Amino acid sequence: MKKLILVTAVLTSALFAQVNEKVEVPYVPFPVKMGKGFDAIQTHCLMCHSFGYIINQGRQSKKFWHGKVIKMVDHFKAPMDEQAIKETTEYLFEHYGNGKLK
Amino acid sequence: MERRDFFKKTAAIAGATALGSSTLEAATTQQPIDNRKVSPVAFPEKRPLIMYSDRPPLLETPRDVFTSALTPNDQFFVRWHMPDIPTHIDPETFTISVNGLVKKELNISLNDLKTKFEQVEVTAVLQCGGNSRSAFKPIAGGIQWGSGAMGCATWKGVRLKDILDQAGLQKDAVWIGFNGSEKAAYYETPNFIRELELSELDDHVILAYQMNGEDLPYLNGYPLRLVIPGYYSDSWVKMLSNITVTNKYKKLFFMDVAYRVPDNETESETPEKKFPKTKPIKKMNVKSVIGYPTRDSVVSHKSHVVIRGVAWDDGHGIQDVMVSTDGGKTWGKALLDDGKLGRYAYRAFRFAFKPNELGKTTIMTKAISKIGEEQPLSKDIKWNHGGYKYNGIDEVTVEVV
Repeated sequence: MKKLILVTAVLTSALFAQVNEKVEVPYVPFPVKMGKGFDAIQTHCLMCHSFGYIINQGRQSKKFWHGKVIKMVDHFKAPMDEQAIKETTEYLFEHYGNGKLK
Repeated sequence: MERRDFFKKTAAIAGATALGSSTLEAATTQQPIDNRKVSPVAFPEKRPLIMYSDRPPLLETPRDVFTSALTPNDQFFVRWHMPDIPTHIDPETFTISVNGLVKKELNISLNDLKTKFEQVEVTAVLQCGGNSRSAFKPIAGGIQWGSGAMGCATWKGVRLKDILDQAGLQKDAVWIGFNGSEKAAYYETPNFIRELELSELDDHVILAYQMNGEDLPYLNGYPLRLVIPGYYSDSWVKMLSNITVTNKYKKLFFMDVAYRVPDNETESETPEKKFPKTKPIKKMNVKSVIGYPTRDSVVSHKSHVVIRGVAWDDGHGIQDVMVSTDGGKTWGKALLDDGKLGRYAYRAFRFAFKPNELGKTTIMTKAISKIGEEQPLSKDIKWNHGGYKYNGIDEVTVEVV
């Protein structure tokens, strides 16, 4: 009898999640343009977000890409030095730029 | 025209083209991108959707879903900010903390939330402030969403007010901070926190654990999220872990830098000269989206087509949806659903259309709110650098065969 009561208690308090195990967000490969500066992208950008997050911003000016990199440093605290800022900005502008400096 | 003049003109035009990058570029807006295909990859608890990023997950709902007032959970859009989302939350041990300027700190379990408070429901539209951003030209910064960074669901949970009442606010309480559980790769990165002023929070603000009668999908903020009807989704904190009451506004990235528009009457600026003062995007403007037909639909000559779609605003309610089937020359009133889902929900609309002419025709929809706000043409939408709050008249061009 004691056992039965225990079982009932467990049943009424149990909350079931729709998914009962660890959720896995799939890994999606994005088309990557290889070139000068890609190592810096891999080290400094892909640590926090996918390549998709970059290429889905649309083609942008050098000023825009520089601004994005600076935002990552200033607001998101990405540990990047001057060299890394320069390399990532130049890679982004070369491959995902709109040809305009500003 | 004299032949000589013709050459002069041609030369001038060629010159303008060549100088394109150095002359001032007019900011003009067009229809958002509408040709993206769903990804072959399905994310947890989701059907395949339009996918922009896997880390953080960014998924858009395809247009053809917007034919009914409720958006199915497995097709509901997804937008996170940080790469690290907890991959497992135990509903038995999960608690939400309420602290700060309260008389009694609380740690409420999911079970307590479901049994010890009044249970309430609200049907409300959840829309990203950057929905339709791909309409802005020059390209505004941010994910180039089409028009599917939105959905509408019936949210069930507990009133925020009831929880704050139980904790008891201290006299000098002014701000309520909401903290989600997503984490950045670096410890120093700011958390995703929103702060709302007490005066902004009404009885419709709830902490929801259910969406359309089911647990929240993991990617929509399981087990608990903030629901703020009428507001853009950046305020609807997902995987809510903590509520802190303060008397002073904290400086926060996601409040003070992101999700802001120019603080002027038209909320606009030019790419060359950004407006210095900004304000949070907050409340949604009036908008409609066509769900059927889509650019891929086969529309038969002289057949009976029912154009369908959804319309909404920030809770004033939809008065009318006007539909044109001839590219904007003539307009007629659509039939609206009964509106029983409430003023924060989509109003589904329908409009009978018999295509009597072969070839391409453009269908347009314009929603008008109960306070007389109406959607402008996309070309009349003024530019802002974040690409927020686009609400141009929707267009779908189909081929009648």
